[in-house]
Order: sequence, then structure tokens, then C-alpha cells
Amino acid sequence: MSCWTRREFGCIAGATCLTALTPHAVSGQAKARIVVIGGGVGGATVAKYLAMSTATVDVTLIEPKQRYTTCFFSSLYLAGLRSFESLIHGYERLAQRYGITIVHDSATIIDPAAKTVELESGARLPYDRLVVAPGIAFKYGVIEGYDEAATQTLPHAWTAGPQTMLLRQQLESMEDGGVFVLVAPPNPFRCPPGPYERASLVAYYFKQFKPRSKILILDAKDNFFGQELFQDAWGRHYPGMIEWIPAQFTGGIKAVDVKGRSVKTAGDTFRAAVANIIPPQMAGQLAQHAGLADQSGWCPIDPMTFESKLQPGIHVIGDAASAGEMSKSAFASNSQAKVCAFAIAASLTGSERFPPHLFNSCFTIVAPDDAMSSAIGYQAATGAIKISDLFLSKVGEDAETRRRAVREADGWYAAFTEDVFG
Amino acid sequence: MSAKCRCDGSAVDARAFIALLICATPVFLVTHESLAADNNRGAQLAATCVACHRLDGRDKGIPSIIGLDEGKLAGALQAFKLGERSIMHTVALSLSSEEIATVVRYLAAQRKETERP
Repeated sequence: MSCWTRREFGCIAGATCLTALTPHAVSGQAKARIVVIGGGVGGATVAKYLAMSTATVDVTLIEPKQRYTTCFFSSLYLAGLRSFESLIHGYERLAQRYGITIVHDSATIIDPAAKTVELESGARLPYDRLVVAPGIAFKYGVIEGYDEAATQTLPHAWTAGPQTMLLRQQLESMEDGGVFVLVAPPNPFRCPPGPYERASLVAYYFKQFKPRSKILILDAKDNFFGQELFQDAWGRHYPGMIEWIPAQFTGGIKAVDVKGRSVKTAGDTFRAAVANIIPPQMAGQLAQHAGLADQSGWCPIDPMTFESKLQPGIHVIGDAASAGEMSKSAFASNSQAKVCAFAIAASLTGSERFPPHLFNSCFTIVAPDDAMSSAIGYQAATGAIKISDLFLSKVGEDAETRRRAVREADGWYAAFTEDVFG
Repeated sequence: MSAKCRCDGSAVDARAFIALLICATPVFLVTHESLAADNNRGAQLAATCVACHRLDGRDKGIPSIIGLDEGKLAGALQAFKLGERSIMHTVALSLSSEEIATVVRYLAAQRKETERP
């Protein structure tokens, strides 16, 4: 119902016990207090569906940013095919329509024993159930020289916002004939087709405005999702413009020279006019500090409920979760959030819990009139999430099918963001 | 959704209906309390649809599945299940016959916002 800034929230919470602010205490009813950390796709979805699922919960969503910028579709902005504003979504409707309390602050400490979340403002929020959706963090330093400061010169643009705008500015400033170097990360990482979609759409931009420019993808891997489809599309739309070099040919990405704007592999140095470094990834920092992540850097979960295997009573959803064969994507996060919300609601009300339905689907746009689509169904009955069916566009599809997929992609974005934030 | 479906001569346009199937969106916007009230299984199944189909019932890129006939919806899903590979084929494969009946019943009971009393 309310949107609190960190300052307002901290002031009030500091004056009395924060409990006084929670809907639980305000209502005077025995409502379960659900706290959700992280206002990305997973966090916003789980908050909304929990609030809808049962009248016996009070849901609080903690997110430092006032507005969320989607990383999905952000490469369309890089290509000049979508406005930056169209990627931005607010939390107002979650508060107004579903009674979710939005707290614009950062969660700093989770105390599983006391069942509290401490915020940067110093406030402490009690919870009965906690859902953590911290997204990804970057493993700075794995590529020597690539730290947080380096992102201001060599952007990752893999969390959308200022980084995305910085990359767009650099592409706009680049002279025709320059080389755009994109470093693609090792598995697992957010949005498996994402780096290659980005290369495609930057190529589209170059084709319009800087046709002598080249794109070089230095990959930490030897293959990637949808590789045959992408390489077919590059040959049809951008012949000779995009070169992909797998790790087996370079020996891997070793270092960057920020001032020299270059990338060093085991045997070569590649100078860039613009460099987009997408580093190795792990679960968001809060998950690391809270003991939710294992040695892999990701958070093991029960696939039926998304409850942490390391911290009972805390659920982890979205990119941070180690969800078996499930990809890390906005669609997957949304699907996990619904399964998690229904499981929590059932446990709180004692009602029947139905088999989970986990999906991932994706539209990947490689040119304004050419998109490919995919869908993956999963089953989780065996205790691990495994792919049950996979559909992926094929090389050689007719042009109308690909054009239709672009229209569907546009419709999907509108419906999906409405499902998450509306 | 890129739902292409061969319906083997059936009058059912599976592509249009697939979307239908999945389109529980409007449901949640307007009647989300129904999901709350009784742990509605149809609503939970329809939550998958909402990730792609608009809540307002408009066809924009992906067809609306609001206000459609229950039998046609079920037929469309079954057709997708048997049809060529597509997003909707993958979705339909995940649903048992009982689940199809449940989600279709739920969706068919929903009305566009403009049609609600």
C-alpha cells in the first residue's frame, strides 16, 4: 500500500521497533509477514503472486532502486530500435493494486535465527517467510584488470541502466571502421542468447551508420546457445561483419588494459574502439553473505518450493538460484517466482499444493524483421529440474515466420512486464 | 508465441486459440482474489499463460485468450499437443488432460474487463 524511501523508512523504524511499521502489526491480525528482497523480475513477481494468493499475508518488497530497467530488450535500445524509457518500470501498481509495501532500501544482513532482515538505514524487518531474489553479481578480477572501476570505461551493460546508456554513447561516438569487441562470459550466466543477440543488434546499428566497422566476439566458451541460428543470421544480415572466436582458439580471456582499451587472451591482444566486457557471474552479493550460495557461487534450492537447501525458511528465486537445467532468464525467474509463491501460500494456509509448472521462453531479435523463438518445459518431480521438452527455431525458416516472431516478441514484452509490475 | 499448428483439417485455428489458452492474464488483473480465495488450481495453471498474453484482452502480437469458448480452447490445446513443434506445443505437452480441462474451465469463465457486470 505504501512506498517508503530509505530515509523515511529508516527514520520511523529507528524511532520505534520496525515491527510497528509492518502490515502485520498495523493490521493487528495474525497475518504472515513475507519479506521479499530484490525488486527485479523474480522478486516483483513473487511479491505480487503472494499478495494475490492468500489474504492472510502481508508482503514487503525491499528494493533500493525507485525504478527497474529491464536488461531484456536493452540491446534493442543499443540498436536504436527502442527507447530507453520503454525499458523502465515502476513499483507503484504493485503497492496500489495488491497492497504490497515497497521499501526503497538495501538489505544488508539476514539473521535466519532471529528471522529478521537488516537494512542499510539500520532498520530491522521481522519476517515469517523470506524470499531472496538478488540477481547476479560479477566476479571482478577473474579477468585481470577488470574491476568495478573498469566498467566505467569498458562497460558490461549486463545489468541495465547507466551501463546500458554508457555503451550506447560509446557506440554512437565510435568512428566508422572501428572494432567493437564483445567478451562473452563462461556458463552459467544471465540470458544465454543475450551476448549474441547484442552482437547482432549492434551489427544492425553499424550497418545503418558505420558500415565499415567490425564486431569481434571473444568467447570464454567453445559453443553457445542457438549457435547455428545466430551464425546463419549473421551470414544473411551482416556478412563479414561479425567474427566469433571460441576459447579453444584464444586460450581464454586473460586480462584487459583499461587505458589502452584492449583485451588480452592467452596469445594475443585485441585493440577495441569500444569494448563490452561481460564478466563471469555468480549469485548476488547478499546471497553470498547470507550463506545461501555454495562453492559454485549459486544457491541450491528445492525445485518444488525454491526453499534454500542451505538456509531453511528462506527461498531463493531467479538468476541467483541453482535451478538444475533451467536457464537464467527473466522468463525463468517469473516462472520460478510463481511456483515459489504458490508453495509458500499453500504451506501458510494448509491448502493443497499442486505440481509445479516451470517454463522458459525467449524471443531473440537479430534484425528488425527477424527474430527466433524458443521454449523449454521442465519437470521437477525427481528432485532435480530437468528439461522435458525444448523447442527452438530452425535455420531456413521462412521470412514470414521470423517477421511474425518479431511482432510476437513485442507483444510478449508488453504482456510480460504487465504480469511482473502491473 | 509463435504458435504454428497443423490442425489436420479441423476448423479450429489452433494458432489463435493457443494464445487463448495461455491468456489468463485478464483474469489476474481483475479477479485476483479468486486465486486467493481457494487456492484455485485453474488460476495457478493460468499463471503460466499470463507471462505471454495480455491482461487487457487485446491482441497485440500475441492473441488474446479472453472470453473464448471452453471447448474450442481445449481443442486448441489438444491440437497444439499433437501439432508441430512450437512454443505452444511445448506448453501443451506439459499439461495433462485433467490440467487442460481445469485451466480451460477457468479461462472460459473469465470475461474481458469491458464485459464484466
